[in-house]
Amino acid sequence: MMHRFALVAIGALALAACGSKVEPPVEQIVLREPGQPAGAAPAAATDLVAAGKAAFAVCATCHAVEAGKASGIGPNLNGVVGRKAGALADFGYSAALKQSGLTWTETELDAFIANPSGKVPGTSMAAGAVSDAERRKAIVAYLASLTP
Amino acid sequence: MNDMAKPPRSRAAKWTRRGFIGAGALAGGALIVGVAVRPGNPVGKLGPIVAGGEGEQLVNSWVKIGADNVVTAIVPHCEMGQGAHSVLAQMLADELDADWSLVRVMQAPADGNYVVTDTARGFVAPGTLDAPDWLEPTWNGLFTKISQLGDVMITGGSSSIRTTGQRTMRIAGAAARQMLIAAAAREWGVAAAEIVTANSTLSHQASGKSAPYAQFAAAAAEEDMPQTPALKAPKDYRLMGTDAPRTDIPEKVTGAAQFGIDATVPGQKLTYAAVRKVPVPGTRIASMKADVAKTMPGVLQILNMGDFLAVVADSYWQAQQALNTVEAEYTRSESAIRSTADQFAAFAAALDQAGDQGGKELVGKGDVAGALSVSAKTFTAEYRAPYLAHAPLEPMNATVWVRDGKCEIWTSTQVPLMARSAAAKAIGLSADDVTMHQPTLGGGFGRRLESDYVVMAARIGLATGYPVKMIWSREEDTQKGLFRCADLSRFTGGIDAKGRLVAWNNVFTQHNDPAEACDAPFYDVPHKSIRVAEAELHLPFAAFRSVDHSQQAFFVECFIDEAAHAAGRDPVEFRLAMLGNSPRHKAVLEKVAAMSGWGTKPAAGRGRGVALVQSFGTIVAEVVEVDMSQGKPRLTQVWCAADPGFAMNPDGFRNQMEGGIVFGLTAALHGEITLKDGAVEQGNFNDYPMLRIDECPPIAVEIINADPVHLGGAGEPGLPPIAPALANAIFAASGKRIRELPIAKHFA
Ligand code: HEC
Repeated sequence: MMHRFALVAIGALALAACGSKVEPPVEQIVLREPGQPAGAAPAAATDLVAAGKAAFAVCATCHAVEAGKASGIGPNLNGVVGRKAGALADFGYSAALKQSGLTWTETELDAFIANPSGKVPGTSMAAGAVSDAERRKAIVAYLASLTP
Repeated sequence: MNDMAKPPRSRAAKWTRRGFIGAGALAGGALIVGVAVRPGNPVGKLGPIVAGGEGEQLVNSWVKIGADNVVTAIVPHCEMGQGAHSVLAQMLADELDADWSLVRVMQAPADGNYVVTDTARGFVAPGTLDAPDWLEPTWNGLFTKISQLGDVMITGGSSSIRTTGQRTMRIAGAAARQMLIAAAAREWGVAAAEIVTANSTLSHQASGKSAPYAQFAAAAAEEDMPQTPALKAPKDYRLMGTDAPRTDIPEKVTGAAQFGIDATVPGQKLTYAAVRKVPVPGTRIASMKADVAKTMPGVLQILNMGDFLAVVADSYWQAQQALNTVEAEYTRSESAIRSTADQFAAFAAALDQAGDQGGKELVGKGDVAGALSVSAKTFTAEYRAPYLAHAPLEPMNATVWVRDGKCEIWTSTQVPLMARSAAAKAIGLSADDVTMHQPTLGGGFGRRLESDYVVMAARIGLATGYPVKMIWSREEDTQKGLFRCADLSRFTGGIDAKGRLVAWNNVFTQHNDPAEACDAPFYDVPHKSIRVAEAELHLPFAAFRSVDHSQQAFFVECFIDEAAHAAGRDPVEFRLAMLGNSPRHKAVLEKVAAMSGWGTKPAAGRGRGVALVQSFGTIVAEVVEVDMSQGKPRLTQVWCAADPGFAMNPDGFRNQMEGGIVFGLTAALHGEITLKDGAVEQGNFNDYPMLRIDECPPIAVEIINADPVHLGGAGEPGLPPIAPALANAIFAASGKRIRELPIAKHFA
């Protein structure tokens, strides 16, 4: 008798492990990368693209940027500036993003990263919002610098 | 012991993860015959993972032998001070006839191949332990699958020795021994039956041949693996039942042992995160002000994670100092409970509503109302237990490195596979992309059955993308974790004209695990009704050492003591008279009475109190002697008699009884978490004190080995009897009846 209930309980446990939802930082203030000399001015002030590259660390878990590399949890972002939203063949986009009709200009990218589900309601990009405008600007500059 | 093992049926539908590990429902009923190693020997697949060292050979999943003849037991439970690593190896080594001085222990990796099948099976379906030999591989295979699905790699419920030890490590050792013999017999051209083994050596007398195990380790791995090897009878044990020195102690003495908080990431410079969770459970951070922290030395990042704040810096000190300057506002809590008084008012309301008969019945027997109405004497009592924090010496911490869609985690945990899944889920990875490293735990006590802290570290790691070690401050650890529940329990007792307890009516509000903790079925009481009237808890719950027994034993064994006094009888004699059908319990109680000189009169101002509890399959009776002559309790001696069936390592078992008693005295005398404005008030050891050495009395422990087949646990059973024994001793010495924990506050 007992094991039947326990099977159910264990089944429920296994199910609970699916359906993941990533809860990203509400606010992320990056002052310095590890290893950079203490007291150095924040990278953003010296080189926007370098600062963007560092700030992109939060995106890199999901997005590859090397040309030709397969998409991961999120689509490959190499050459994304100027690209139509939802355009990569190797990635299963949400219907919302595919049908958004957006083209990723720097302004649109900025708006999307500021609030992904506000810009594209129904997008499956659950994490990655960046509230800090300076950091967004840097990330977009970095994305724009990537060439196929 | 078997009937004790079955939780009431109504409980079954409520099986939870906690239920799963906390339930002391490991029934015996099985002779150790039909046990099995998993069919098919996976050494080819596992070898590279667990036996990659020079000259190492994996013989089966659980044992490898080195070229230096060192035998390594691969143990799927964690080591948190309870000694399970060493004793599990001891059991394997005995069946293998290994030389104990050449035995080492390795923590099994957090990998589906090392789920604790037999722990799961012991708790969930003890009936299948009686399966005939031919069915055994089927059951074993099924439970392995179930355990893999549920991430069941768990250390808890005082279960390692009696489940994995009895049914996995011993079998693995015996199987490996048979495989070594078979390989030697083949090579030497002699009959396997003529080969004898001792001290990690094979020998054949007639031919004069002999060889260390190492010589045949590789050949043995190729032999058929016997699935139900013959195990030793107790009379043949050489290591089991002895005080074989623990393998983990030398490292702990020299400071070489690596705890979770000592973790390093090979080849990487670590960064450190200090964290501050919202003070009131269920609330969120409304806003954060970090202007000062931004300017402070060493600071790398400041994070508002919604439910907690984090500062990442070059050192832990810098991170914590900067975090201390971060200001935050929080959303309002929806809980109506703001104070400890509110919490107990909620309990009282639930009990008032339940009245004499309401609530969900957990144990029902005879006719309680009828018996009370004809009792010669009735009495009532209401007991209170506070919230408790686990306060392990090593605060919550985890080191993580999230990169390239993969994550590595170093942390002290009792549930490595569940922690892995929880972390993976939180950062959008699959569990296979997360690798766990499992250092020694600086205390678990049930707190590390939860993975909240691992999830927090993983989320920080996802945000940084570089290696980071998150450490909770002591204050954070005391205030923001999960807690032993508070509770209120009401009893009415009825005594008949002959001075016997005939009616037992009880209702309380918190029912977790083990389900049977609220009962003491070994006492003959004809009319009984035990009910739960659930009331909401403000603080999140986590299993505490001995879980529900930690408060229920206080309620039940104080109630029994009050019954004895109401009947005008001696507390030991009163209990013995109810143990006619429980000879083992009777023997344990008689033992502790003899040890403590129960019949003799204590010195002036002193009194003795007793309690008898069965938990996690082990029967324990304790007597406390207390000196009240200074107006405050001062413990002068504790005596403890325990019957675990069979103590595999008596020194380790005594050590666990002592540890349980000391941990239980901390809780009984001092432990109390209180609420103010919805938040925990205590923060550090100044206001959440531990038992001090000058408060700790000598503790004498004696073991009764009454049943070498059906074993009980060791980690938890020492704790439950100590609080009631102490309260009962204070009554004996002073006439003051303590019905509310902690005790020290009644004498402040
Ligand atoms: C937790 C994983 C995750 C993180 C972290 C993440 N993203 Fe995404 N991202 C996704 C997913 C999934 C999609 C696809 C969304 C959809 O189909 O609706 C996506 C889509 C995008 C797109 C649209 C690409 C296209 O081909 O149309 C852009 C641009 C983007 N992300 C940028 C970013 C940036 C910049 C960051 C860091 C600030 C970031 N993402 C962080 C998962 C993530």
